[in-house]
Amino acid sequence: MAGNAVAREALFALRETIARIEGKVLPADATCVGSKAEKPFAARPKPGEEPSSRFLPLGVPAFDAVLQGGLPLGELMEFRGAELRDAGAVTGFALGLCVLLHRHFAKVTGRPLVLWIGEKVVAMEAGLPLVQGLQDFGLPANHLLYAAPKGIDEALWLAEAGLESRAFSAVLLEVRGNPARFGLTESRRLSLKARAAGCSLLLLRQAGEEEASSAVFRLRIGPAPAVSRRLADGSTLPWSLGNPAFHLAFEKSRQPALADFFLEWNPHDRQFSALPLPTAAAGEKPQPAHSGALLSASGDRPHRPQPLGHVVALHRAS
Amino acid sequence: MRLTALDEVAERIGLKKLQGVAEARAIHPKLEVIMADAAADRRFLAAIADWCDRYTPLVALDGEDGIFLDITGCAHLFGGEAALLQDVLSKLQQFGLDVRATISSSPGLSWAIARYGQETIVGDGEAERALAPLPLSALRLDEQMVLSLFKVGLRQIGDLFHKPRAPLARRFGAGLLLRLDQALGRDEEPISPRRPVASLSVERRLAEPVQAEEDLLHLALQLAIALKPELERQGLGGRLFELLLFRVDGAVLRLSAGASLPLREPKRMAALFRDRFQALHDDLDAGFGIEIIRLNVLQSESFSAEQQDFSGSGNEQAGLGTFIDQVAARFGADCLLAPVGRQSHLPERASLFVPAAEVVQGLSKTPPLAVEATPCRSERPLRLFRHPEIVEATAAVPEGPPVSFRWRRTLHRVRRAEGPERLASEWWVDGKNTFTRDYFRVEDEVGRRYWLYREGLYERETNAPLWYMQGVFA
Repeated sequence: MAGNAVAREALFALRETIARIEGKVLPADATCVGSKAEKPFAARPKPGEEPSSRFLPLGVPAFDAVLQGGLPLGELMEFRGAELRDAGAVTGFALGLCVLLHRHFAKVTGRPLVLWIGEKVVAMEAGLPLVQGLQDFGLPANHLLYAAPKGIDEALWLAEAGLESRAFSAVLLEVRGNPARFGLTESRRLSLKARAAGCSLLLLRQAGEEEASSAVFRLRIGPAPAVSRRLADGSTLPWSLGNPAFHLAFEKSRQPALADFFLEWNPHDRQFSALPLPTAAAGEKPQPAHSGALLSASGDRPHRPQPLGHVVALHRAS
Repeated sequence: MRLTALDEVAERIGLKKLQGVAEARAIHPKLEVIMADAAADRRFLAAIADWCDRYTPLVALDGEDGIFLDITGCAHLFGGEAALLQDVLSKLQQFGLDVRATISSSPGLSWAIARYGQETIVGDGEAERALAPLPLSALRLDEQMVLSLFKVGLRQIGDLFHKPRAPLARRFGAGLLLRLDQALGRDEEPISPRRPVASLSVERRLAEPVQAEEDLLHLALQLAIALKPELERQGLGGRLFELLLFRVDGAVLRLSAGASLPLREPKRMAALFRDRFQALHDDLDAGFGIEIIRLNVLQSESFSAEQQDFSGSGNEQAGLGTFIDQVAARFGADCLLAPVGRQSHLPERASLFVPAAEVVQGLSKTPPLAVEATPCRSERPLRLFRHPEIVEATAAVPEGPPVSFRWRRTLHRVRRAEGPERLASEWWVDGKNTFTRDYFRVEDEVGRRYWLYREGLYERETNAPLWYMQGVFA
């Protein structure tokens, strides 16, 4: 009997260690008594923070379910745009998350600033942030610092120094393509620094391919038609451009995502909300009657058709 | 071509300045003639003046071949005036220069005796005795005046001492008497130093030259520790620091580093220079070693010391200040920018990027998510191009939104458009002939949203208005 109990305790301890490595949260009755001393690293509550605020819920239940509770705080997250034309959408979604993080941190610890590390070619092709545009989007411009490094090495140094200074609630690192100097080791180093500092690092890969990295999740962001403006009586103004919308596809996540997401950002309320899948508008080419659900990229991963003639590097796969 | 300078052997042969080269070659066929390079001579003189910085910070250039040093209050550090003079002359002679120097109580007197006299140190009451036998050009007068004085019969400075002053001033101008009084020490003549004088300075002379970077940083830290009590006594914190490294072979290296908030902590001062060293890694050459190292505080501000509580929560401001200083020391002040709004209705002028160090006090001072007044303009894009890019657009004439446009060699079909928002030109800046812009927010079939404008109104301003794209929305 005693030997059985000891064996069971060892089994539970082993399960907990594996769950900690995988980053999963075990159900409460599976934890054993002796494991209170070793809480997972990320779950140790920081001074002034409740233990349950490891995640920042976005307010979209399906999205939060894939992320197991919401946006993980103090982690490296990757957002990828397939082309440089989509830079606006990627930036917009990341800035929306920054607004949420900024509001959360302003309440909890009083770190009000966001650091945006730009990239030279992206700034030439897609432009620099505009004060009034940021204000219209929901982020006051005096809470943003923009850095203009000359290369990827400088950008990585800035990201590390920014995380270590603990003066920012979020750091946006813009990277173009898949530079050779930014691989698995550098992203692992950045994710450890982000965890140590408790500051979220959002990696924006503009015009990049999928690449293995230490991010907790990777989203491919694409443009989506904007929502029409809502009028006071509840109807919408046809053919108007209201709140921006984004098309998100999970390419790497702990829980598998079943479908793509279409989210709308409301700058006045400063929150995301879910949109139904876009249907064909009148006057456009009619869709077939039973068109099948739009599967996410991770849904049919092994049979995904390879793009012709554009192999980046064979060993780079998620 | 004429000779401008001669060495001793040439002078002994009998060649003179401003003699023609052909004539000189006729006298001595094997003459070696080098082209004069005034810029190089000035640089060399500036390098010697930099070297003289080790004696006093008040160093001024005098013409093309002289240096003034104001050693008021510095002589005792070198064991007296005679020892100082001996040190300067011997070191410069070791560099291979032929130098004449004089110490006295006024610059004019030193100038005269160094160039025309023989003494090396002139005491306080000996000015008249030392100046009397010297010719009149020792008073820094121009040739015309020396010639006219010569015609009157005045050849030496001693002749001027007992002459009545009013007739001299009437006949030769006030400049003569000014120069005479300056030489005798009756008129103050300050010298204007080449570099701004530091308010606080700490120096260390090394017995043996040091070359390694870590040792230099360690020495800089010790200097910063020595600087702290003085800053505390005056209630100041430093904003701009300068580290001077005097090399053994005479060159002087200067590194300056600025801080966004007044600093007093020695470790942070040393960290600024560590970042600066790393930024200059390849350009910093210690040569055969550094023998003197000096830390100057060039700019300082009053320092408001805050009492910190035990929780250590007041450190966010310090963390941000340290980050900004680190980035400025390593990559320059233009790497980290803060966006600032300006009062202008043209979008490219309404948003400006300013170095973060200048706005650090104002950053994050407003409460987060303060309610702003709704601006009476339509939405602005998230990202604005630095220069608007031209597109070829098809639109209804005269004021319709674009139906399709070609941008960066791709055709985009517009599905929805909002606009126009008419922005007139700022005629008080650009003049009255600049065109009005009609801005449109357009969305293409995929869902990308752009900000286009048409420059010029049909038939009222131009017959062929051009279309541009200026920004992208989220």
